Amino acid sequence: MEDLFVSMGQGAAILFNPDTFLLTVLYMIGGLLLGMFVGSLPGLTTLTAMAILLPIVFFLPPIFGIPFLLGIYKGGIYGGSIPAILVSMPGTGAAVATTFDGPALTRQGKGRKALEMALFSSVIGDFSSDVFTIFMIVPIALIALKIGPPELGAVLFLSLIVISATGSGAFVKGLLVMVVGLFVAMVGQDPIGALSRFTFGVFELRSGISLLPMLIGLFALSELLLNIEKRASAYIDPNLKSREGERLTWPELRSCGRTIMRSTIIGTTIGIIPGVGQVVAAFVGYAAAKNASKHPERFGKGELEGVAAAEAANNAVNGPTLVPMLTFGIPGDNITAILLGAFVAVGMRPGPELMVEQGPQVFAILLAMVLANVLFLIVGYLSIPLFARVVRIPKSLLMPMTIMFAFAGVFAVRNNPTDLYVLGAFGVIGYVLRKYRFDVAPLAMAFILGPEIERSVSQTLSLSQGDLFGYVLFERPITVVILVLTPVIAYSLWRRSMKLRRESQVMLSQKE
Amino acid sequence: MRRTLLKTVAAGALALGLGITGAMAQSFPEKPITIILPLGAGGSHDLNARVFTSIIPQYLDQAMIVRLMPGASGQTGTAAAASAPADGYTLLFSHNYFDQLQQHVKDLPYEPTKDFVTVARLNSARFCLIVLADSEHKSINGLLEYGRANPGKLEFAHSGQWGAGMVPGARLLQWAKVNANMTPYRGGGPSLRALLAGDADFTVQLPSTIAGQGDKVRTLACVNDEPVVGSPPTFKSIGFPTELGEMHRIIMAPRDIPADRLAILREAFAKLQEDKTYQRMMGRLGEDTNLMDGADYEKLRPVQSDDYKALVDSMTSG
Repeated sequence: MEDLFVSMGQGAAILFNPDTFLLTVLYMIGGLLLGMFVGSLPGLTTLTAMAILLPIVFFLPPIFGIPFLLGIYKGGIYGGSIPAILVSMPGTGAAVATTFDGPALTRQGKGRKALEMALFSSVIGDFSSDVFTIFMIVPIALIALKIGPPELGAVLFLSLIVISATGSGAFVKGLLVMVVGLFVAMVGQDPIGALSRFTFGVFELRSGISLLPMLIGLFALSELLLNIEKRASAYIDPNLKSREGERLTWPELRSCGRTIMRSTIIGTTIGIIPGVGQVVAAFVGYAAAKNASKHPERFGKGELEGVAAAEAANNAVNGPTLVPMLTFGIPGDNITAILLGAFVAVGMRPGPELMVEQGPQVFAILLAMVLANVLFLIVGYLSIPLFARVVRIPKSLLMPMTIMFAFAGVFAVRNNPTDLYVLGAFGVIGYVLRKYRFDVAPLAMAFILGPEIERSVSQTLSLSQGDLFGYVLFERPITVVILVLTPVIAYSLWRRSMKLRRESQVMLSQKE
Repeated sequence: MRRTLLKTVAAGALALGLGITGAMAQSFPEKPITIILPLGAGGSHDLNARVFTSIIPQYLDQAMIVRLMPGASGQTGTAAAASAPADGYTLLFSHNYFDQLQQHVKDLPYEPTKDFVTVARLNSARFCLIVLADSEHKSINGLLEYGRANPGKLEFAHSGQWGAGMVPGARLLQWAKVNANMTPYRGGGPSLRALLAGDADFTVQLPSTIAGQGDKVRTLACVNDEPVVGSPPTFKSIGFPTELGEMHRIIMAPRDIPADRLAILREAFAKLQEDKTYQRMMGRLGEDTNLMDGADYEKLRPVQSDDYKALVDSMTSG
């Protein structure tokens, strides 16, 4: 522990070296702005931006290059929630939960409040999880190593149950839509043997349905189709006073304090489990906030707390996600894979030796992450008024523009024309489902988590070498605990949702 | 008068047109070249491509643009490159498993050997077989003997079906007549985690990854000729008869590319190989810069194909 503090002190000395500090800050601000820009345009993903700009790191000293990439990373994640809030267009799975309340708030003229709430909760979630990670890096690494395919499969299955139980619609409808999502995810190649299935001999289907066109179709296009039915005045409140909309007030932020802290803890915990990630964190954070709320019926109709819950949770994942990469050299996702490349390029090879040999440098970078959050609070806050003006764009312009960005963005990701058909098809599917009061979120979630569950279950079957029960029961105690808890949690969630429905029916009948 | 004018203009235009065509052959490339990666962002091909595309414009006088087209284990991007015009402006950055192994396990909408010619083998990645440092298996021969005596008991964590981390290990097991339990993971990282967590007995990783693990793992054998980390034996030294265990990163062009353009591209890559900045950047990434000329690599492709076919047959028949 003492060594830890010594390393940390030396790390701080490297980062706050007066000769370089100002430049570090400038590079980081550059990265943050760039990240926000690419994150907010669908099709320009944070991942691509980082991959393209990685060679910059070869030419810069580590203390500039790595903070620059970290800036893109953090800015990009927040950038993704900007279109999710303003036009219901999630650029990633992590932003899906933000579309539950964000666009509704925008239509009420509270777009700026929502953007600011997203910023504050993102920064608080990220900051706390980064600080936690710095102090707990060793235990987090040990836990991460314990999570193998059986544990991951059990956690993901539990997540899927939680997600379907906390949707906005009826429980059974949620389950139905979820099954559709699981099936759609099976089109293409299976995650284990890479064999084609459900492709009906169509070559274009061999690569499966792509996530981004499906998400944008389900959430953004269907939203547009629903809004076309409404009158312009009903879309965005015409009586908006200021050009940028009202700011978030201190009491509003304070009232979400508990929610932000809860989501931060949930997000950090989920971040420790490799392979689960931001998508699940955002959903579980949202579900927990809805469950704990005194007025859950407001969720999904424009509740600031909903935005706070999702955003704090998905950002809190970031800190612990880096731990397996730093301590074992195992990247958890593509973004951490690029960061791994950047670390190697500057002469820091992540692995067990790294902390021993270059502890101060590692801490300098971890502290830079914390600093990035503080800078981001400032940069984000100053740039929000610019984005918030979107609500002042007349509907007759905003809608065609959104459609254009949806199609252009979807095509830009893989340059694959098939994705445009997928986008159109899921736009219609989303529209029909929402017309019939199905919640489309379980479809997207099942689509994202389905292949992961399939992979981990297949791996578990392979690992068990034919004796599945014996293997899980005697060699995988953590899995057993999660599997036993799953029905208990599912039952309590189901009871709660039944109770809520009864209460709302009573309220309705009292009104009459 | 009018007619003559028209004639002159037509003749001039024709001459100009011919002139342009003539010049085009000499001044290729005269617009940016697109290089299709049938793989996703952030992988080792992506990182390698970012490095060489940032330097090769010096030798081609034109930019080289990376286009990521992942999907269907490389088929989406490869199919797109196969159907692109063979004018040298569309290239493919692939590897030997997509190129020569996949045709034996999948029904492809293109014929890799017939549709593509090698511009250059950019570099190769040579894999090593590792166990945990406290493993009871001290040598490669010991591991294989244990595997023969206990069929199905050895657990091999690999990076994905028919992928770069699987094939070298699978071929060694096939050659040594060892029946091991193979579990595919999603890439090299997760398969390394499986080893570190004790879920697997051995895995196959890149030397650059192994170097970061310090004394946590023991390298039993590597596929390359020259020993690397801690001088473990090579696959060859234990009698394993082939050198085909490397992953070759290859730059391909549609087969009908004009010969002069192919030559220009090959020359540019030969010059790139000597570039100091390129070597330094690749060195920092921990990647080799062992370029092989396209013409030499062409000779390897049929050998690989036969070899992989034998492997696939032996694994899918049992």
